[in-house]
Amino acid sequence: MIDVALASLIEDMIEKAGAEGVVEFWQRVGDNLAGRMGKEAYLGWTSFNVAVREARTAFSIEGEVTPLTDMAITDVDGDVVGYLYAMRQCCYVPTIFRTRFAVGRMSPADKAVTEEYNENVHNIAVCNFCVFHERFREEIAKNVTVSGNPLACFLLATRGWSGETKISSKNVVQVNINEDHVRALLRNYECVYALVLRGARLKGER
Amino acid sequence: MPSDARMQDSNPFVEIATHLFLEDLAAKVGVAGLNNYLVSLAKNLAAAMPREEYASWTEFVGAVRDSQSILSTFEEVRPVTERCMSTLRSPFERGWREYAKRVGSFAPVHREVAEYYNHKVRPTAVTSVHIVLHTFREAAAARIRVGDDGVRYEPVAAAWVDGTVQLPEGPKLESLLKRAGITRTKLGMLLRNHSDVWLLEPA
Repeated sequence: MIDVALASLIEDMIEKAGAEGVVEFWQRVGDNLAGRMGKEAYLGWTSFNVAVREARTAFSIEGEVTPLTDMAITDVDGDVVGYLYAMRQCCYVPTIFRTRFAVGRMSPADKAVTEEYNENVHNIAVCNFCVFHERFREEIAKNVTVSGNPLACFLLATRGWSGETKISSKNVVQVNINEDHVRALLRNYECVYALVLRGARLKGER
Repeated sequence: MPSDARMQDSNPFVEIATHLFLEDLAAKVGVAGLNNYLVSLAKNLAAAMPREEYASWTEFVGAVRDSQSILSTFEEVRPVTERCMSTLRSPFERGWREYAKRVGSFAPVHREVAEYYNHKVRPTAVTSVHIVLHTFREAAAARIRVGDDGVRYEPVAAAWVDGTVQLPEGPKLESLLKRAGITRTKLGMLLRNHSDVWLLEPA
């Protein structure tokens, strides 16, 4: 119930702090939750990807995550420094459906926060919850080490419950993945992100 | 929650995030401010839902029992008598369990705001989510007509997932039990394995 009520809380907060205030709140909540999840260490990508598949990592709190091990990210020397990860279902979609069938329609507050984020922070959100969990993933990536190196997270693409898609051109370039490959993934997945070793010299970086 | 294939029981990750949201809010506006936000969000939620009308009290109680009323949108309600309702499992249980598993123990502010509510409004909240639940039920009941009458809600007792029970004492409890048509012993029996016992009556 509290997930459905969240939209009503956001409506209230928009009145008091504006949509930009809600964006700041959500980002701080992402920081706080990640800070309470603890650190994790893995010997290498194989053990990390197995842990992701078995839902043992902090990333798994969002729901079922699939490591796309056929889509490796390489650095300027051609070494594998990361992979793509994807969720078949956006973690907010169940709440959208619960709201649809409990209240009747989604609150306009959801759209207001989404648009604020897309215009002023990162044009990748398809719902207000994207604001929170993009930051959440970025922060937990810092607390996860693979072969002794902390990770960095780049949100690449999202698909909303009504079919609209968003692809982050800057992040796709950064991790040197072809945008068409990411677009094709959106046929099967609703959220695609990359995890790479922090500080790796990526091909897409200038 | 209705046993509808389109509906999922809950969304624990979003619930966890919402609890963290509330904790952050409390750090900014204090316990009294958080209480105001919780009351306001529950009222807004109920106000966003359609009004209801029933020809008779029997039809109304049947709709509540069969998950056709807004009062049973988020919980499975079992009528005990014509006026006394019980909820088997708290609609917040899954979210709380997931929070405890993934994040750790619940932040103290959830109990603190419940104590504030118990002192200021009515003594029936164990934790922050009960403020949402009681206010929502009260506001939702006010949107229902049965014949020519409105509907009034009052909580009798709430039991949290960890077994903590909160209920009024003395004459207030006796009055509630009498209107609900149950005894103190029956209430104790219900609270062993139910999360909430509440009263609906014509207004």
